[in-house]
Amino acid sequence: MNPVFRWIESSALSVWTRESTSLLAYPAILSAHAIGMGLVAGVSAAIALHLLGVAPEIPTVEMRRYAVVAWIGFALNAVSGMLLLIAYPTKALTNPLFYVKLSLVAVGLWLFIAVNKQLEKWTSVARLWLGISLLASWGGAIVAGRLLAYTYRRLMAG
Amino acid sequence: MVTFQMWLVSTFASVKPIGRMMHTAWGWPIAESLHFIGLSLLIGTVGLFDLRLLGVARRIPIAAMHRLIPWGLVGFGINALTGVCFLLAEPDQYVYNPSFHFKALFIVAAGMNALTFYLTSYRRVTTDGAPDDAPLAAKVSAAVSLSLWIGVIVAGRLLTFYRPFPCQPPEPGFLATCIPGFR
Repeated sequence: MNPVFRWIESSALSVWTRESTSLLAYPAILSAHAIGMGLVAGVSAAIALHLLGVAPEIPTVEMRRYAVVAWIGFALNAVSGMLLLIAYPTKALTNPLFYVKLSLVAVGLWLFIAVNKQLEKWTSVARLWLGISLLASWGGAIVAGRLLAYTYRRLMAG
Repeated sequence: MVTFQMWLVSTFASVKPIGRMMHTAWGWPIAESLHFIGLSLLIGTVGLFDLRLLGVARRIPIAAMHRLIPWGLVGFGINALTGVCFLLAEPDQYVYNPSFHFKALFIVAAGMNALTFYLTSYRRVTTDGAPDDAPLAAKVSAAVSLSLWIGVIVAGRLLTFYRPFPCQPPEPGFLATCIPGFR
């Protein structure tokens, strides 16, 4: 994989993202990634908490109106995450935790889509399990993502 | 102000057990993880309530949406607690950091904005039979709240890019954004 990593790391986009002193490079991308995280994990958490019995006066089906906010957050993070990956491909892809994070994001998104598909129809048992697993998958994704900064073995291949 | 900053740093630095706990192998990573979870809770509840005031999902009564707010306070509590741990463990990295000055300012402003909302619009928008559409004052509060919390996230994320270094002459003016040479 090293030649692939080196090829990505030497690309203009990778060099700019990593080395530019502009606030619009790495700092802005990291900020966007944190905002997107707040939106996608935050909306998921709000829906999960409601499924678990918080704010029972909210007509459950209406929570669907907020799904678009989560998708905006996800789009922001797909783009910013891709740029962070292009900046440091070796750092992410040689860390097993990165794959744990991606899997947890995939599970979280899948649960989010499944929950929203028929918000009003879930039985109380289903609401309990969906709520808990939504919270666990997004919480886990956040922890795994945060630990990436502390657990990488190699920063760059070049 | 510089004298106050130096006093803050030496006071925070004198709380040794938290600093020691934070500098263990897992102290910082665990606190950071909790800080990001708290952030998401806050944005997911307070942010959605703000959007409701601004007119998103009008069929949800504003009072019903407000029932999510205690969980936003839980998120804020987690972040205040972990934030104080960071501050006590590395005081000069925050007290002299210009990005932290903005973050603190935005948090205080968000608090005052919330207080204004509760003192002026809260009862009107949550009372029985309140109209679906919030009055302009409440919408302004909501827009200000959203902007400030996003500002808090950005200023927080930018902290590492504005790490203060020891001051070079001339010495700092009103507010130090470098570590003044003492001792």
